[in-house]
Amino acid sequence: MERHFEKEFEELKTTINKMASIVDEQVESSFRDMEDAEARLYKSVKQRDREVDAYDNLIMAQCENLLALYQPVASDLRFILTAIKIDSQLERCGDIAVNIVQRVKKTDNFRELIAQTDLPEMAKITRSMVKDAITAFINRDLELAKSIWVNDDIVDELNKKIFNQLVEKIKANPEFAEACAHLIVLTRQIERLADHATNISEDIIFLIENEIVTHKKKLQDFQLPE
Amino acid sequence: MDMKIHEQSEVAAAVEEIKVHSRENKISVKDLCAYFGKTKVLKNITMDIPSKKVVAIIGPSGCGKSTFLRSINRMHEVVGGTITGSILLDGEDVMKLDPVYLRRKIGMVFQKPNPFPTMSIANNVVAGLKMNGFRNKKALKGIVEKALKQAALWDEVKDNLNDSGANISGGQQQRLCIARTIAVNPEVILMDEPASALDPISTAKVEELIFELKKDFTIIIVTHNMQQAARVSDYTAFFYMGELVEYSDTKKMFTAPDKKQTEDYITGRFG
Repeated sequence: MERHFEKEFEELKTTINKMASIVDEQVESSFRDMEDAEARLYKSVKQRDREVDAYDNLIMAQCENLLALYQPVASDLRFILTAIKIDSQLERCGDIAVNIVQRVKKTDNFRELIAQTDLPEMAKITRSMVKDAITAFINRDLELAKSIWVNDDIVDELNKKIFNQLVEKIKANPEFAEACAHLIVLTRQIERLADHATNISEDIIFLIENEIVTHKKKLQDFQLPE
Repeated sequence: MDMKIHEQSEVAAAVEEIKVHSRENKISVKDLCAYFGKTKVLKNITMDIPSKKVVAIIGPSGCGKSTFLRSINRMHEVVGGTITGSILLDGEDVMKLDPVYLRRKIGMVFQKPNPFPTMSIANNVVAGLKMNGFRNKKALKGIVEKALKQAALWDEVKDNLNDSGANISGGQQQRLCIARTIAVNPEVILMDEPASALDPISTAKVEELIFELKKDFTIIIVTHNMQQAARVSDYTAFFYMGELVEYSDTKKMFTAPDKKQTEDYITGRFG
């Protein structure tokens, strides 16, 4: 006899996997739109965001229901807590995908600027981070989740590097100032996307290993006041 | 369940850890087996109960948790049970102690509140003392007040101490039974599903009371309510088919138990 809890728990898993797949597609499309002027994926990325938002609300309701009705413990509780956190990360990833296509649209006449910076490289790494985070979550792949962290440092470095490249471009060609400003924002958005992928990987570690690794380095010598 | 040798050694290691971490063990159980006729209902249980802590015993019906509880103050004998192995209370073998003396040291609260219906609230509290020949009225009055205060019932009944113990609510009756248990000044309190017949507010009161009582008493509680075990206890033991599967810190037990069987039980996947 299938229990109500099992049924609702499986429904939550299905919902979050569906949301993750859509976000994965959004991110993929947004980077394709950035790389390929002919892709024209602005509308589809934006439209899919409504689905992501609807899944966001649905996951919150499902988690609330499971917590209120069944008082789960151990790995079940960890999954629900992780679902709440990853849901929020995925929703932000979807928003960022929309921001990316918006910025790309605004710089449509200056696409060559993108190729003159390390933005394509940063986009490639970040794309793989998001994909790996989602795959690691769906497959409960601890090693894949941990591998994401290394790339976060690379993306942070590229963020600084691209900022300098664009500032130099503005200094040399003031007529590119507006386009470069959009690209600086775009770079920042991609960096945030990599952060969300890293956060998802930390949540996966909590889910699988019951260890809170978020802020671990920063909090090494820190104690909350009594 | 056939427990493999390495699993048994893991249980033994966890049991050892609790022993090391607790400053003082009130009760030490070693190789305890319990039988009803030829049926073996407890199989080589070895565990220590730390002093002034709450230990919850969980497990599906028929796993031996109530038998384990009743073996500690030899209530199992009342229903024809026998045991082998040892149970030490402060180092003394309970099987060598006088059962009446033992049950004064180790009190018990049952699932269904069972105040004496023909006695007043006050007389219910001191029934045990009176049965033992204690007659000092002034002292008895003081004990009634102290025990009812410890059982968090004083404020609710102080003006009706001569009313029948059966005329108060179920939750109040259960706290009256706890007061009766406390009145004889035990060192250990055994609780067998003490809140399962109570409404949520009364349950919460009993749980709050357990928190207070552990300052003075060692408490062992059998419960089917996982959340209750998680809320009130310091350590939890999971029994299955007469065996101790896992015994550890309650927080660990309900967040990341070592055994899959424990995880399956606490998450409701079997049992």
